Amino acid sequence: MTRPANAIDMWRGFALVTIFINHVPGMVYARWTFSSYSIADSADLFVFLAGWSLRYVVGTDARRNPTRYVVMRLAARSFTIYVAQVFITALAIAMLAFAAIILDNPLLLEWHNAASVFFDPVPTHLGLVLITHQLGYFDILPLYVVLMLFAPLIAIIDRYTPWLLLPLSLTIYVLALTFQINPPTWPVEGAWFFNPLAWQFIFVLGFVIARKDGVIGEFLRRNISVLRIIGLVVIAVGLYFSLADKLPDPTTVPRPRLFFIADKTYITPIRLFQFLALVAVFSAVYRYIEPFVPRLVGFFALLGRNSLPVFCVGSLLALAGQIIRFVWQGYFSVDTIVVILGVAVMALTAWLNEWRDRAAQWKKRQQSPAG
Amino acid sequence: MTPAILAATAAIAVFASLACAPRAMAAAEEAQPPITPYTRECQTGDKEVQSTSPLPNVASALEAGKTLSILAIGSSPRPGRYGHGNYREEIEKILARAIKGLNVVIVNRGISGELAADAAMRIRTEVALNEPDLVLWQVGANDALAYLPVNEVVSTVVDTVRWLRQHKVDVILVGLQAVKRMQRNEHYIAVRDALRKVAQDENVIMIRRDDAMQMINKASTGGTDASNFPEEVERSQVNHACLAEYVARAITIGAFAKGLKVRARDGKNGGQEAVPPGASPGRDNQAPAKP
Repeated sequence: MTRPANAIDMWRGFALVTIFINHVPGMVYARWTFSSYSIADSADLFVFLAGWSLRYVVGTDARRNPTRYVVMRLAARSFTIYVAQVFITALAIAMLAFAAIILDNPLLLEWHNAASVFFDPVPTHLGLVLITHQLGYFDILPLYVVLMLFAPLIAIIDRYTPWLLLPLSLTIYVLALTFQINPPTWPVEGAWFFNPLAWQFIFVLGFVIARKDGVIGEFLRRNISVLRIIGLVVIAVGLYFSLADKLPDPTTVPRPRLFFIADKTYITPIRLFQFLALVAVFSAVYRYIEPFVPRLVGFFALLGRNSLPVFCVGSLLALAGQIIRFVWQGYFSVDTIVVILGVAVMALTAWLNEWRDRAAQWKKRQQSPAG
Repeated sequence: MTPAILAATAAIAVFASLACAPRAMAAAEEAQPPITPYTRECQTGDKEVQSTSPLPNVASALEAGKTLSILAIGSSPRPGRYGHGNYREEIEKILARAIKGLNVVIVNRGISGELAADAAMRIRTEVALNEPDLVLWQVGANDALAYLPVNEVVSTVVDTVRWLRQHKVDVILVGLQAVKRMQRNEHYIAVRDALRKVAQDENVIMIRRDDAMQMINKASTGGTDASNFPEEVERSQVNHACLAEYVARAITIGAFAKGLKVRARDGKNGGQEAVPPGASPGRDNQAPAKP
């Protein structure tokens, strides 16, 4: 049975569409996504909601799932995401190779960190399997794999010593920012674009805040009106700094500097506060828009309910969009067609995924003696 | 003057010259900037593939004997074979050979496929975090492929170059590759030429990678047509190894070329296509520069 539309699925679907648009560099519509007016972007929302969804798997004191079930399910989920990452990366590499051959243009082989796949394949294939080599724009699922690998540990800590979870997560975050700790990439030298040691904090925040009967979740819900007013102020200030390009000069801020600059890799506090302000304010929106645009809400929720396949297809469509823009020289009309077709195929993916589940359930009912 | 006095004077002069010769030779050596030679496969004939401009902050770092810190950003260079001998290691090796006692650290923060605007934002953060003396910025190709407006790309690069200068960080721009398919692509050429002009106007070094690739290809194939496009060379390691050599030479010339600094201020060599003596005339061979 498909669950009805809800705020989490709707916002996750919204994040998936904006991630798709923002992953086609140069696209005109990217200027109108909230990333252009905000320090935080859809990636923050995606990871935060992933943490929030983890709460549904783990449960609360009132409705606990057995620990063994939780651990096994999260480990299986991590493996599924890993397989998805390896699969879409392989397809992306094939798309680049195909485009380079058809268009007779070796430059395409160097797109998005793919160069080492083609020119130094021996270690790079190891790197792809170890997810230490990540293609550009295909680097959020590796973060998700790591987060889900540690999700059983998060669930166990939450179950037995819930007061420890957030301080522990905060400590890892602070240490990562203070000492600039970020896992290296290999074989191409560099560091993870989404530093898991920093991004785990927003994941855990989503998980902790989702718990209505927890100390923090309860406090935030009780004071949500005040928080929304503070959030509005933070958003306004963030908007001003973003549009007026008035963010502080990173070389003049105190040390450790990552605490005072806006950086995506380390999801620094400036970015994090602005994102939490967005969450506080926009958490009020769903109940107002749902009656007015139920079809739109339902559409985004459809995407959000099927986030993994939609994200995978969206990532590949974004790459296809880049190649199409390159061939047809990135006109406005081309961008429009890419967005419409891309979102339509993402929706079709979600619909097919749910249809498959419905078909399986229907078959099961047919085969059962009662049916 | 008696013959005895003459003989004595001559003897003293010979003795003095012999005594002073090593010091004079050493002085001559010190005055000679340590220009790094190109390996055979990277030679581009009589044509330099990088413009030359002073790198005062690199020079200051070298004078102070501190570790030279370089930030590599923009499109990520590919690794060497089996992950070894990559672009960063090559530059470090060449520089260490050229400048005795030099400690150099290259922080690679390149993200392949990154647009200039995204790299520009990251440059500010990375400069704050790593405090480099020099930024190597490979820029333009992805913006050209994404058909971003040329003026936007130029504006981003100019703002960033000026910001770096204000923060006492030198910059070397690494230009677009040569690809046959893009030879007639107006946008690609427009971005390439616009970035060359930025380098000239802002007096920063630019490695003209497309020229280099064509020259290497011409030399390696023995062809006479300079418009040869190095599809195969582009795919080989040679091109990236050579890029490291060009960058290393640009750094040594930029750091030691005090004469260039004067010419640059005069605007006579403003920006500037540096060509060794004897270069053939042409669009890319405008002003000879002897560092």
